Amino acid sequence: MALYNFKKIMVVPTAKEFIDITLSKTQRKTPTVVHKHYQIHRIRHFYMRKVKFTQQNYHDRLAQILADFPKLDDIHPFYADLMNVLYDKDHYKLALGQINIAKNLIDNVAKDYVRLMKYGDSLYRCKQLKRAALGRMCTVMKRQKQSLEYLEQVRQHLSRLPTIDPNTRTLLLCGYPNVGKSSFINKVTRADVEVQPYAFTTKSLFVGHMDYKYLRWQVVDTPGILDHPLEERNTIEMQAITALAHLRSAVLYVMDASEQCGHTLEQQLALFNNIRPLFANKPLIVVANKSDVKKISELSEENQKIFAEISAEGIPVIETSTLTEEGVMQVKTEACDKLLTHRVDTKMKGKKVHDVLNRLHLAVPAKRDEKERPPFIPEGAVLRRKAMEVDSPKRKLVQYWDLMNDEEKQDKIPEVWEGHNIADYIDPDIMKHLEDLEKEEDLKEKAGEYDSDSESEDEEMKEIRQLAKQIRDKRKLKVLESIEKDVHGPRMPRTSKKVHRIWSMWYKRRLLHYAEKARRSRSVDRKRKREPSEPPTSRTRSQSASRPPRDKSGVRDAKMLKKVKTMMKNSQKGMNRQGKKGESDRHIVDLKPKHLLAGKRKSGTNSRR
Amino acid sequence: MPQNEHIELHRKRHGYRLDHHEKKRKKESREVHERAHKAHKMIGLKAKLYHKQRHAEKIQMKKTIKMHEQRKSKQKDDDKTPEGAVPAYLLDREGQSRAKVLSNMIKQKRKEKAGKWEVPLPKVRAQGETEVLKVVRTGKRQKKAWKRMVTKVCFVGDGFTRKPPKYERFIRPMGLRFKKAHVTHPELKATFCLPILGVKKNPSSPLYTTLGVITKGTVIEVNVSELGLVTQGGKVIWGKYAQVTNNPENDGCINAVLLV
Repeated sequence: MALYNFKKIMVVPTAKEFIDITLSKTQRKTPTVVHKHYQIHRIRHFYMRKVKFTQQNYHDRLAQILADFPKLDDIHPFYADLMNVLYDKDHYKLALGQINIAKNLIDNVAKDYVRLMKYGDSLYRCKQLKRAALGRMCTVMKRQKQSLEYLEQVRQHLSRLPTIDPNTRTLLLCGYPNVGKSSFINKVTRADVEVQPYAFTTKSLFVGHMDYKYLRWQVVDTPGILDHPLEERNTIEMQAITALAHLRSAVLYVMDASEQCGHTLEQQLALFNNIRPLFANKPLIVVANKSDVKKISELSEENQKIFAEISAEGIPVIETSTLTEEGVMQVKTEACDKLLTHRVDTKMKGKKVHDVLNRLHLAVPAKRDEKERPPFIPEGAVLRRKAMEVDSPKRKLVQYWDLMNDEEKQDKIPEVWEGHNIADYIDPDIMKHLEDLEKEEDLKEKAGEYDSDSESEDEEMKEIRQLAKQIRDKRKLKVLESIEKDVHGPRMPRTSKKVHRIWSMWYKRRLLHYAEKARRSRSVDRKRKREPSEPPTSRTRSQSASRPPRDKSGVRDAKMLKKVKTMMKNSQKGMNRQGKKGESDRHIVDLKPKHLLAGKRKSGTNSRR
Repeated sequence: MPQNEHIELHRKRHGYRLDHHEKKRKKESREVHERAHKAHKMIGLKAKLYHKQRHAEKIQMKKTIKMHEQRKSKQKDDDKTPEGAVPAYLLDREGQSRAKVLSNMIKQKRKEKAGKWEVPLPKVRAQGETEVLKVVRTGKRQKKAWKRMVTKVCFVGDGFTRKPPKYERFIRPMGLRFKKAHVTHPELKATFCLPILGVKKNPSSPLYTTLGVITKGTVIEVNVSELGLVTQGGKVIWGKYAQVTNNPENDGCINAVLLV
């Protein structure tokens, strides 16, 4: 039932478009080839399929339209009334009724012609019958041109209505045009309603939202209402009346105390009394706006009496000025409080409460004995609170402070400024410390600690220094050059060397073994060749630790490392996404994709597949 | 302005983009070229439909242009020549007009002689039996071929009941039975959907007339009480003849012209 999302209604095509869409769909989605020599049942089936397909399409689309548009009986009476005001209930129902009739007519046409086609004994006859059937259906649609246009306009307007939830907490603003309702809503919410000096600036309902007491409130701004009887009201005023009649909200009747809106207070009072019946069962507040121009106390006697009468009836009268913003918050809080209590009362009176109340039980701990157990407040907290009080004796001494700028005496000192704790920087002896430091510095300077050695050097030392600098620079250059030279050629990777070492060790051991055997067999005294000593395992491990890991060798610094890593990842992205094993994986999963090789060969695509 | 017309509200408050109007103008002028490009590139059925529509549009455009042009040019005023004063080169034409009148009268007399049945469709293609009646085989071995099924649209009266199926020679299927016809009044140029009273004559064969087969050219009797015709004597006419003008079995409906 929460059909307040009117934006989901399907677009209603114009009659011509509708026909075009459906016919072209039939032409594309049904088989197109039939020959005279086919068997008659095949020909019949071919043409019957077309008729039924067209009928199905029309039926579906029309049914969708009928389902999407809200039924005025099913939605909230506020929206039903609003739609009646805006679109005329009768016209709306008629248009939908016509669409329904069209749907049924199309169904009947299809049924009749399918029945006739069963007696078709030649291709020509079946074809003519199909042509007649489609033509008939399209003529039915052509006659619906007006209804479809009207429904499309309704749909566009409906989707643009502001979403007003009729059940939630709402404040409703009403009154004469130009009294300041839109300015009020602009002040209280974030709705940017147009405010202009001419009457009837607001021509439709506007919604804004605000927060109060951790709840969401709707504020509804209405177009101004003039004082005439109900029958003579135009569409714009009727919207305001509808909102008043159906929304359960707090009503803020806005009056212009300064009569700048062009209507006297008597007229405003007359309107107030006229629409009084609509305020029944709603918390009411009278807002006297534009108080910056004229306050109630400045008004004449009779006018003041008007306000006095109203407040005498128990309706609060609050003076506000949307320009200076005085009283606006007060109005808001009062209205919200009143509405909340009203809603709670209504709920209490209702039937649903009892279900909940039965289940609720507030447990209060029962007193054990008569001993008093007050809350415990430590002494330090009490003292501190006293010290923070503005009237504490310490503050009374402020008047004796000697500051450069006397007006700054009453300023509050903040605790934190720009991230620094001010208490850290407060030192009562700071001036004394500064003086001491300065004295020390003077002494040091006099002792000559800060004198530079450059003047004591003689020419020789200077020359030596310059030369040393040159040597250093040249050396650096040479080092860089030698790095670029590839003297060693292609190298084995480090790990392989390790393996090689181990392997070579093992190999040499085997050799030795065979050599010994051979020696024993030949008993020739040969000098034992010195085998390379087994490098200590600790050394290999430390050597490998001193070498940089593979992904960091050849990389100058962390920044370059990061860049290198991103380059690697980027180049691997494409392969990973396609699920390839590596850059040499050229396997194609699907050699004959269906979307390229299936379907009709439409005109213009015959040159290739 | 309603609350959620954001585009219009923004335009009202901040105005248009600096190049908006120029962009719009250029886009509109480009549209012409794009339309022509599309018209060149389209192929197939879509192209046919589009070109047909476009042709109609162009004819309209040319007509309006011509209309505008006509106003600019001067027009000859025929009223200036007074009645009776015939210029010399027109003196011979009088004889001709008289001749025309005479020939019309002769044509009229011929028509009256021709016969009382003056129908809109004097000649109609004859429908052979094989076309109208289909052989239905019956019998244990499907050898007997004495039954016939009517393949054209037919009319059976209100109180019609079939003969027992074993004995009926002509089968008129229910799907092909029609009760109403769309009858056009030739002078009023209006079409009404009138109930059929009966089949008067089928030009192909008297057999079809008795069967009630309706083909093109058949004369049927229709109930015209809807039209509210009255004779000179004051009696209400409720039945009139009409001639069928289409092939009902191909179109699924009977279109006829009232014989006045």
